[in-house]
Amino acid sequence: MEERSSNNTPPGNHPRQQPGSQQPGNEGPVKSPRQQPGSQGPGKTVRQQSGGDGPGAPADQYRRERIRRVTQNFFLHIHSTRVHPHALNPTYTFGLGVMLGFLFLVMIITGVLLMLHYTPSVDAAYNSVKDIVHVVPGGRIIRNIHRLASNFMVLIVFLHLLRTFYTGSYSGGRQLNWVIGVVMFVVVLLMSFSGYLLPWDQLSYWAVTIGSNIAASARELTDLLGITRFADIGGFLQRLLIGGETVGQEALTRFFMLHVIFLPMTLLVLTGVHFWRIRKDGGLSRPKDEATEKQEKLYSWPLVMWAELAILAGVLAVLVLLAFFVEAPLLEQANPSHPENPAKSPWYFLGIQELVSYSAFAGGLLVPVLFLYFLFSIPYKDREEQYIGQWFSGSKGLKVTWKAAFMSLLVVVLQVFIMVRFGWLRDWFPGISQWFVLLFNPATISVLVFALYAVRVGRKSGSARMSAMALFTAAVVALILFTVIGIWFRGANWEFIAGG
Amino acid sequence: MQRRNFIRKVSVTLASVAGALAGISFLKQFTHGRTGSGRKARVGRIADFPVDTYTFLEEQKIFVYRDHEGVRAVSAVCTHLGCIVLRTTDGFECPCHGSCYSETGDVRSGPAPTALQWYRVEKAPDGVIVVDMSETASAEEKFYLT
Repeated sequence: MEERSSNNTPPGNHPRQQPGSQQPGNEGPVKSPRQQPGSQGPGKTVRQQSGGDGPGAPADQYRRERIRRVTQNFFLHIHSTRVHPHALNPTYTFGLGVMLGFLFLVMIITGVLLMLHYTPSVDAAYNSVKDIVHVVPGGRIIRNIHRLASNFMVLIVFLHLLRTFYTGSYSGGRQLNWVIGVVMFVVVLLMSFSGYLLPWDQLSYWAVTIGSNIAASARELTDLLGITRFADIGGFLQRLLIGGETVGQEALTRFFMLHVIFLPMTLLVLTGVHFWRIRKDGGLSRPKDEATEKQEKLYSWPLVMWAELAILAGVLAVLVLLAFFVEAPLLEQANPSHPENPAKSPWYFLGIQELVSYSAFAGGLLVPVLFLYFLFSIPYKDREEQYIGQWFSGSKGLKVTWKAAFMSLLVVVLQVFIMVRFGWLRDWFPGISQWFVLLFNPATISVLVFALYAVRVGRKSGSARMSAMALFTAAVVALILFTVIGIWFRGANWEFIAGG
Repeated sequence: MQRRNFIRKVSVTLASVAGALAGISFLKQFTHGRTGSGRKARVGRIADFPVDTYTFLEEQKIFVYRDHEGVRAVSAVCTHLGCIVLRTTDGFECPCHGSCYSETGDVRSGPAPTALQWYRVEKAPDGVIVVDMSETASAEEKFYLT
């Protein structure tokens, strides 16, 4: 069976078997037990490295041992036995994906520990979290680590997205893995949002009230169309999310279930598929030039393990150290009749919160959905494979990126300046139809300008990749700007404050 | 008819019926419509509400306003994203995203899509003021004191 399969597979797919079958005897008598088909790396370009060594030569034994370490260990065989040196280049990946894997592990472990003491009921939740902080030995540190790790996860998943995009790593057969990655990005955001309600303090209650009403804001559109009575999509989404019209026990139960079972399970499965796809797609992306292709692959054991151990140690060190100094906030118990002022979401949602302060539907549903649609569609619109593995697609792409970033900065700052200084539609035309408020605000106008700009870049350069880079950069810069405004420039009653 | 064809047809039919039933019950969700909280709240006697004052009722999340003529009730839930609005000197303001409402609950500025909701007020036989949160009213409508 093994011999046959090695003959039937296309050349290069089973690099260890093929040369072995061509040079019988080279692999020696120990060959067959180690050749489980599933344990081979993608390794499309691996060259036979046995050279002139005989079957029993010490160098050959040594190589076998390195491969065996990976293939015979359940936990390590997620790695391929050999990797391309480009994948280990620290300024190519920055180890972000591995970091996320470890952070997820930390989240699971600290999460289970927190769960031992947490009670998901409206009456008891707040006090149980208080107990975790003040009574449970080490509870405060574990909660701090859990919260820090979740913050880092959101940050790093975003950086990982940037890295993958700007190195063009979504094309060349990697389309599906990009899509899976975007789904994982959304799941990470949902995990952190669902965890936000659990302490049942003022912060959680109002953040989730606002969040669930964003889901309900589809009514803004159905009301305008006059079809809410027949198709109350907003109300449906809200009831699905929090089990009613206001945040209460049903919402807490649902969010608890989402946070500790559904979303982690989903993320776990997606992580498995994501890693598996990397190997199926031939390892991490790398430039398609001859010099890179010529480089010999390296054995994963022990090189990759050292690199990963270093990342794990770094992640743990940062988390534990920060956990002593950065306290996870716990405000007063939730009070459904008095919102915090300002009632702010966690920092990574403040960009969206700034957008919903223009229009709930446009900022909370329309624009995020368009952004996600854009992310999903990138690898299917841009199929130019010559840019794979090059940061910013070379100097031309870097120029496009800078220009788009500057354009986005201008568009966003100008609009926010007008809004703060001179007001917006409702201040100029009191009683103006809600249609205008929904359709013409800094969120929608930015989307429109960015889209037109990207089309222009695409026309001028004749490259879908450049067009995608322009739109992606503009969107990301705008997201960062709106987030910065939401974090530092919004005070009580969401009024603009200069550098609070 | 062959056995496998029979089994195939039966399974397809059963699956379609199940799918249609599930689909109908799923779609029913959407026609639920906006009901408010759909309940009547006994909020107290007229004497409990000072004249010319908006009294905030925490449980119902409404303001009850009494003037020399009668009593009115307005929702305190911002129509934008569900925060509780604050009373200002000439209307209401939401602390979450700064929507401003006039004295009559109409949107003056900010992202709120619709006006604050006014509810019908009546008096129960035992003299207690009842706010019917399933019945909306206009801002001018009040329960006249007799």
